[in-house]
Amino acid sequence: MKIVFLFFLLCITAVQNAQTGNVDFNSPDNIKKFADYLFCDKDYLRAAIEYERLADINRSDIIEFKIALSYSYINDYYSAIQKFSGIIKSSVYFNEAKLEEMKINFLNNDFAGLRSYFKNSFITEVDKYQTEGEKLFNFSYLFTDDALPSKDEFLSPFDFNEKEKISSFYDWKNEPPYKDGTLAGIMSAVIPGSGKIYVGEIGDGIVAFITTTVFAFIAYDNFKAGHTTRAWIWTSVAALFYAGNVYGSVAAAQVHNAKITFEFNEGLNVYLNKKNYYITKYEFCD
Amino acid sequence: MSILIKKITTLRNMNFVINRKYFTATLLFISCSSFAQNSFDTQFNFANTLYSDENYFDTVTELKRLLFFDDNSEYNYEANLLIGKSYKQGAKFSDAIRYLTLAEINAENIDELYETRIEIIRINILRRTTRRAFKLLDSLEADERFTDWSDKIKYWRGWAYMFADDWVQAAQTFAEIDTNHVLKRLAEEVDDDLYSVSFAKTISYIIPGAGQIYTGEYISGLLSLGWNVLWGYLTIKAFIAERIFDGIVIANFLWLRFYRGNLQNAENFAKEKNMVISNKALNYLQFGYDGLKP
Repeated sequence: MKIVFLFFLLCITAVQNAQTGNVDFNSPDNIKKFADYLFCDKDYLRAAIEYERLADINRSDIIEFKIALSYSYINDYYSAIQKFSGIIKSSVYFNEAKLEEMKINFLNNDFAGLRSYFKNSFITEVDKYQTEGEKLFNFSYLFTDDALPSKDEFLSPFDFNEKEKISSFYDWKNEPPYKDGTLAGIMSAVIPGSGKIYVGEIGDGIVAFITTTVFAFIAYDNFKAGHTTRAWIWTSVAALFYAGNVYGSVAAAQVHNAKITFEFNEGLNVYLNKKNYYITKYEFCD
Repeated sequence: MSILIKKITTLRNMNFVINRKYFTATLLFISCSSFAQNSFDTQFNFANTLYSDENYFDTVTELKRLLFFDDNSEYNYEANLLIGKSYKQGAKFSDAIRYLTLAEINAENIDELYETRIEIIRINILRRTTRRAFKLLDSLEADERFTDWSDKIKYWRGWAYMFADDWVQAAQTFAEIDTNHVLKRLAEEVDDDLYSVSFAKTISYIIPGAGQIYTGEYISGLLSLGWNVLWGYLTIKAFIAERIFDGIVIANFLWLRFYRGNLQNAENFAKEKNMVISNKALNYLQFGYDGLKP
């Protein structure tokens, strides 16, 4: 009897061990569990690969969506678009997938694609998120040189508390505070350094004015004193500074314009990032 | 008497039966237990094979899988260590340090602790965060538990100095291990080849262009000398002729500009040449040196 009891005790212990130790790592259930863990650990590439190991029969709507989302998070937009567009209408995540597609178009700077997608598919196929889609659609105009819609039309999808900020973006885009390169060049040709001051480089403008004037004066003084050779050397130096200043003013205007365009686009991206591209946060890992 | 013999025989037979039962039970238990171990061992061995095949991405995946299902935390040290090493091979240094730190936390003895810490130091050397490497080396050296490894710690300190571009200290550190250490000789050779940036600048202060000539940039040095002589001559000539305004303007806008340019040039050339020399030495260490590398 003692032996039988001992045997059973040993077997129970062993079986318990076997249950914790003998894991089928590649069973569909375990692959899914592991993929979920990787997804929440933000190891998205591995998560996508693990989810994709699951046979079609084991894949739910949420898995298909998370595969696409994983590719999107690692900036593999090509794969992400393919996966999102493969999500069928009956899926629980169909609407979210369509909005994500718009976001990817945005991140890819494919604004023309985004607009045609919105007009031809999003409006007709998607039940939810029409306002969010319209917001992204309107935002796309701020990144391109295409003609802007009217201000009222542009602002219409945005909430009241957003309107002020969006309105300032719109105004900036409509009338960007660019400096005219030609005008800067002409101004510096008339009064050395004035073009630079016009562009906002006041210190550079004053230095350019003083330098050119001083060299011109020395050249004039040498001509007056009869030192012709020396006078021509100083004339060349003055001419060099003068030409450099005119060219520098045009270049400064171009640099200024490029800088403010960059800052504007950065501002837009920061704003959109903060708003998460008008996509509500998913609660897959809570 | 015959009854007694019978009883003894029965008892012997019972003993045999009991022993057989014990044996069977133990056998069953061992087979169950070893089967239980096998599933995780197999997974770990599989990951090891992937690592040996230089398939580092899959190594990380399989080890993460092992850790995820390893409820008993039996592989916390080995798996995290190998994940860290795999990430290192893929140049994902931050991830590597993260997992090596996890391995360090799970180290069960002094050898394991030493291995993880040195791995972290090697990664810091490799990614040139040498200040962090020095800090970790200092803590290892100050810890009495690691006195047996003092030569090895010095070895990695020498490497850290080489990556920090301090070849003099590197040579000294390797000399503490062995006065004829191959890396000591290399560090000394590199140090001999390096140009002194301050010397290049100083001689350029005295004779414009001399710093460039010292670094082997003869044309640049001669041009610099020529410009400085020309503008210096014109400045002095203007002052002698009492054309004070001309003198000030030439000195300020031309001579001083070329003189300052000459100093900057001398400094830049010395730094650039030193970088080439250092990189050449590091290139040799990467491809030509057979010893342990970060």
